[in-house]
Amino acid sequence: MVSGGGGAEAVVAQLRAGDPDEELRTVLDGPESELHRRLERLGVGFVTRDGFPRALVEVEEPPAHLFTKGGGFRDMAAVAVVGSRAATAYGLRVARRLGSVLAGAGIAVVSGLARGIDGAAHAGALDAGGVTWAVLGCGIDRWYPKAHADLGRRIATESGCILSEFPPGVRPAPWRFPMRNRVIAGLSTAVVVVEAAATGGALITARLALEQGRTVFAVPGDIDRPTSEGCNRLIADGAVPLTSEADLLEGIGFLRATEPAPAPVAGIGAVSPLGSTPEAVGAALGLAGDELRAQLARWEVAGIIARKGGLVVRL
Amino acid sequence: MYASVLAATQVGVDPRPVVVEAHGKGTGRGRFSIVGLPDTAVREAAERVRSAVAAAGARLPKNVLVNLAPGDVRKEGPTYDLPIALAAVRSEEPGGGPLVSAGELSLDGSVRGTRNALAAALVAAQAGLPCLLPDDAAPVAALVPRADIRLVGSLAEAITVSREGGGRVPEEVAAPTLASPPDLADVRGQSDARRALEIAAAGGHHLLFIGPPGTGKSLLASCLPGILPSLDPDASLASALVWAAAGEDRADPGIPAFRAPHHSASGAALLGGGSGTPVPGEISRAHLGVLHLDELGEFPPHLLDALRQPLEDGSVTIARRGTTVRFPSRFQLVASTNPCPCGHLGDRRRPCTCGAGQLERYRRRLSGPLIDRIDVRVAVGQPAPAELLGPPGEPSSAVRTRVDDARARQDARGCPNHALGRRRLDALEVDRSASELLHRALDGGRLSGRGFDRVRRVARTIADLAGEDVVAEPHVAEALAFRGDDVG
Repeated sequence: MVSGGGGAEAVVAQLRAGDPDEELRTVLDGPESELHRRLERLGVGFVTRDGFPRALVEVEEPPAHLFTKGGGFRDMAAVAVVGSRAATAYGLRVARRLGSVLAGAGIAVVSGLARGIDGAAHAGALDAGGVTWAVLGCGIDRWYPKAHADLGRRIATESGCILSEFPPGVRPAPWRFPMRNRVIAGLSTAVVVVEAAATGGALITARLALEQGRTVFAVPGDIDRPTSEGCNRLIADGAVPLTSEADLLEGIGFLRATEPAPAPVAGIGAVSPLGSTPEAVGAALGLAGDELRAQLARWEVAGIIARKGGLVVRL
Repeated sequence: MYASVLAATQVGVDPRPVVVEAHGKGTGRGRFSIVGLPDTAVREAAERVRSAVAAAGARLPKNVLVNLAPGDVRKEGPTYDLPIALAAVRSEEPGGGPLVSAGELSLDGSVRGTRNALAAALVAAQAGLPCLLPDDAAPVAALVPRADIRLVGSLAEAITVSREGGGRVPEEVAAPTLASPPDLADVRGQSDARRALEIAAAGGHHLLFIGPPGTGKSLLASCLPGILPSLDPDASLASALVWAAAGEDRADPGIPAFRAPHHSASGAALLGGGSGTPVPGEISRAHLGVLHLDELGEFPPHLLDALRQPLEDGSVTIARRGTTVRFPSRFQLVASTNPCPCGHLGDRRRPCTCGAGQLERYRRRLSGPLIDRIDVRVAVGQPAPAELLGPPGEPSSAVRTRVDDARARQDARGCPNHALGRRRLDALEVDRSASELLHRALDGGRLSGRGFDRVRRVARTIADLAGEDVVAEPHVAEALAFRGDDVG
């Protein structure tokens, strides 16, 4: 299935117009039927700028088109979760969790289908049954890395979409990844770097995102661990440190947009998030004895407060 | 010549008559022998009786043989002196009707001692006989209703009374209040713990204090007897009988007993036993009163396990070769524990230094069937300085008034709240918002199934304290505050 821009002929025409590199030219110059065959066999779609999410249109020099596989590509809020391929268990856990939280909030999770953080972010989004977009640095008919072929197929068939600037048949090459990263940053209203070494693709994505005026979050890590160096450097350079899941949703202004704010609980202000003594809460509320005890127990049962070390803490 | 009078002993808490028979002979070498399973103290009665009888100006046969029947029950202690003397004197010079007596003789003929006095008074009351007791046994004997007590000061007086009747009848003695328990007025601050104590008293619930050392957990526990309803005459007698089995008198039998065994106590000291005649342990001395186990986590696990059956049955059975003795042990448990081995977990002032593994072990040790039975759990913290310097707390007498009212409501329903089983709990009258709150707590995972029952029992008591027939939402909410779901 070829869609948009007037069929395979138009696709080829546009690709030629886009100053193709040598390899791409080889694909384009090959037997026309071969390209067609690939496009159709793979069930690949094709989207031009008209069909892009707004965020991607707004960037400087957006890609001319994107090949798509899977039905989950549409105009919606998106956040990129990227990071090192050599991730730690902590990084993987955080990435997966963030993927779930974002997808659960109705936000598309964008990443690069790479090993490590990227894969975990996609998987987290699929866990939550949400939308996730994997942007490839090679032809859309290839799975790179091979180990993520299954994950890629899940994304394409479940609720996400595989995206690539490159037509089928283009092999992965190191210099294509920054181009891919430009698309990742362009699609997203914010970029979260979960783990990154001092040099790496994730930092390029972060820089591109900053250039495009996106918010960059970085997950702080141990200062003596190489895989956290990039993130900590980003924070030092002004990225928003991500200290909780709520930080993220709040940071992109999404918490209020998607979830109705919980009904304000009268008097809950008396309990500090940092912990208050029960007596102080009682004094603020004008309650004491059995009434105070009962009120604190109600809040505790409702999950609004918790008891920690003789104090009550607002959650 | 032959004569007999009655004495009494206790097997466990059951009073048993002992027939003291004396056979006197005018000839022989002047022997005074005692048979019938006497211990050394009883055997030594011979010498005291000879001297006391001479001091009383009475005469003994030249040879005396005394038999204590039944012959298979051990006779212990010196209070067989008086009955032995009376029987021996009668065997020389007959006269006087049947009677029961107990008392230790001194060489000058005076009578004293309270051991076996309670058993003697009960045997006498049951048989409708007069009971001769020393003056100092008057308070003990007063516990026995419808007993014909005659107080005697000396053997001479006892011989006269036994022949001609008379003797002093115990005067109505004011209940001595020497050993009144500590008063809640002495506890400053600690409003949560005070309230927990009141609820526990009102519903008869077992209680657990959780808190760092030095926060007054033991003082609070010792205040419980002072806010519990006074023991009625039957209960006073039951309690005194257990103590008598241990050879002790209760100073103030109308007040529930308070026992606080140390965690190094042996199994026999805690549960009862000992060599020879079984002696009631701390759990039985706390019968109808309060058993305080301080530092619960420090008690050996096998002892805590052994407490299960007494808690369930209200009695403890001590097996001996050929016989078993059952002591009642219906006590209210007040346990206290540190929150962790170092004691400072949750302390606002000092950090806890325990490792995660230690905490886990400590928790496991505290959980289990014993803790499961504790309905009210409360954290006891360090009182603020302002509270320590503040006005004294509400006195125990004021709290006891509310407790008495709440107990009266339970009596009218026919079941104390601590004993409410699941069926009765399910039939509990609970209003809609209260039941919603309970189910929210269950659904939110903040309440276990067993916790659910405990909270309902405690909520019923809180409603009783408030004088309400239907359990309402504030009652449940407050009960939830005492659920202590981080233990057990």
